[in-house]
Amino acid sequence: MSCQTTAQAAELPKVNESGAGEKNPKVVAFLCNWCSYAGADKAGASQLPVPQELSVIRVMCSGRLEPTLILEAIQKGADGVMVLACHPGDCHYKEGNLRAFCRAELLERMLPQLGVDPRRFSFDYVSAAEAEKFSRITTEFVERVRSLG
Amino acid sequence: MSVSAKTAVILCTCSGFINERIDWEKVQALLAGHPAKPLFKIDSLACGVDNLEQLVPWLRSEKPQRVVVAACSPREHEGTFRKLLADAGINPYFLQMVNVREQISWVTAAPQAATAKAARLLAGALSRVQRHQPLEARSVPVRTEVAVIGAGPAGMQAALTLAKAGRKVTLIEREPFIGGLPVRFEELFPNMECGPCLLEPVMGELLHGPESGQVQLLTLAEVTGVKGGFGNWSLTVRQRARYIDAELCIGCMICAEVCPQRRPNGWNASGEMAAVDVPFAGALPNLPHIDADVCLRLNGSEECAACQAECPVEGSLRFDQEEREYGIDAGAIIVASGAVELQEIPAPFAGLADVHTAYSFERLLAMNGPSGGELLGENGSAPKSLAIVQCAGSLDPDGISYCSGTCCRTALKYAHLVLGKAPGIAVSRLFREQSAPGVDAGRQFHHGQEGGVRYRSFAELAVENGPGGRTISVAGGASVAAEMIVLCRPIVPGDGTAALARLLELDRDQGGFIAQSHPLSGSCASPLKGVYLAGACRGPGDIREAFATGTAAAGLALSELVEGRDLIVDPQVASVEPSLCAGCKSCLQLCPYKAISWDGAEKRAAVADLLCRGCGTCVAACPAGAITGRGFSRDMLRAELEGVLS
Repeated sequence: MSCQTTAQAAELPKVNESGAGEKNPKVVAFLCNWCSYAGADKAGASQLPVPQELSVIRVMCSGRLEPTLILEAIQKGADGVMVLACHPGDCHYKEGNLRAFCRAELLERMLPQLGVDPRRFSFDYVSAAEAEKFSRITTEFVERVRSLG
Repeated sequence: MSVSAKTAVILCTCSGFINERIDWEKVQALLAGHPAKPLFKIDSLACGVDNLEQLVPWLRSEKPQRVVVAACSPREHEGTFRKLLADAGINPYFLQMVNVREQISWVTAAPQAATAKAARLLAGALSRVQRHQPLEARSVPVRTEVAVIGAGPAGMQAALTLAKAGRKVTLIEREPFIGGLPVRFEELFPNMECGPCLLEPVMGELLHGPESGQVQLLTLAEVTGVKGGFGNWSLTVRQRARYIDAELCIGCMICAEVCPQRRPNGWNASGEMAAVDVPFAGALPNLPHIDADVCLRLNGSEECAACQAECPVEGSLRFDQEEREYGIDAGAIIVASGAVELQEIPAPFAGLADVHTAYSFERLLAMNGPSGGELLGENGSAPKSLAIVQCAGSLDPDGISYCSGTCCRTALKYAHLVLGKAPGIAVSRLFREQSAPGVDAGRQFHHGQEGGVRYRSFAELAVENGPGGRTISVAGGASVAAEMIVLCRPIVPGDGTAALARLLELDRDQGGFIAQSHPLSGSCASPLKGVYLAGACRGPGDIREAFATGTAAAGLALSELVEGRDLIVDPQVASVEPSLCAGCKSCLQLCPYKAISWDGAEKRAAVADLLCRGCGTCVAACPAGAITGRGFSRDMLRAELEGVLS
């Protein structure tokens, strides 16, 4: 779910190849209770790998997250932040995930203005059944953040 | 909140599942310097009944102010450990769980990494739990009366179910009679059951049965105002004058016989009725009503007293009756306002003779209809051919895109019934798609496939008048005899649906029907707590569904509002700090549950904890930071962030 244009991305610093893998990035993932957190639990029950660098913070709904909280996470030292929501139409609270999506779109546009590589932020949907997707996208995101140095 | 609150940390091993990867001794060493000075206790299976019993005295003797439990998913055992805290005399909301089983030990291969992660997430929980506030679940007395809007099969079934459970019900019906649409249907699909025979016992029970005293029926009545919320609604209901004394009138209908004035009978979709009359024989309650615009006495034309002179019970006719307003208090509202068939006749059929909608044809077939049940055309004789056009306006991606789901069974019913009314009649059915779900309807479906013609779009139908009579032809295809035509038009929300939805602040779906809490698991509830849905206000449906959903909606009301059981309000909801609210109203539009109201005098928003479900969307949106999520506050999330990133 990226609204980042290629032109904007091109202006950003290149991936730090030399720094790749040198440190363990700090990655925070905000998960909504009903879908994504349940998907993460299912990844556990299925014993699928989840990066050890990932720190999950549970919220009842992705709609609870104000963009400033995500910026605060970065300010406090997070190398990457994920927001995972219910799929459109599946929100336990009807439409909180759609609010979260709109806020994510705005945040992604704002991050470069603040000097933050928008690749350090990711918004995605994970259902309660998508254990494999949770495992895959968290692993990929941690690797992406690691490669950014 | 002080950062030095004494915090107990229970480290569960889950019978070895957790400590297989996580070294609890090492975690304790890593967190020894935490400002919360955690008091650790390793437990082999913290959720076990015996273990919980032993944890209570431990907590009572140690007297921690906060408790962190590192175990399995809070989705599984948060309730268990909240109860543990309550049993130990600690506010249950001073708990924070760390999901070390599903989200660490089962997903992290290297024990060292798992141990480090456990320490990190525990640091987050330790910081967060310091910010927790003591919360009390509020208990609110509730009203157990229920207001049911709409007295069709769904509303009647809901009202009766509630009355049988001893509940007081106010049943609000817009029409002068009850029974909804199917009481006007001669036969019901799929088994050709008599509609009035099915519904009259239900109506009789409602009006005169042992529980009828529990039900206040208001006919000719509409809801005009709604205040309050779950457990304590207050409805304003306006009842139009019937001009008949319901206590005195014996329903002999002599008044209708002598009345000099006539008005079109909209309930029959054709024919006339007297100014004082019932729309059809057998309408209940058995009382006529007067159309004040048509009655000579009431419209001021002349001092007509024809009905009064012949009425055998003096005082039954009440020309002085006025509109009445009722205030109805109820704990829950059941909306059962139904749906209707679109009655407008589209081109190329508009203006032609002997063209019916499914509803007007239904009335034509009914014994108490305009022709006494005889199948007659406008020329007074039985038609030799009947063409039933299904999907007439439905399944149209640019118009009404959905299938109403009932018309096929209705059309198959008509095809069967007309054979008995006009032997030898040629019947054709034209359809875009066919759908006759249900075990019983299978027989109906297989017996009625003769004379079926498929068409692709409504635009390719043409009406032609040839030497052999009128036909409907499908472009490039078949042509069928069509002396009489029935259009099965789409089923759409009833007239009052939009206004009712506005009053109750309910959303409507793409079709304009009342939106359901969840289309699969919450189809008999609206997203607004304490408002339940029954019948076709939820979307097109048949009578079986109306009865089933009427029972279901009543069941929901019964389970959520119990006499003597106060409502426990989850304290983990949003609340507005009035001194910080800037009055921007951003939150009002966001709340999916209409839990936020506007105080016009104070110019600030307020959250009704009864309606709030704690999603926190408003918390995130408030530009002034005036809304706090109790249990998920900005402070708590910040502290957790700091903890995991430290």
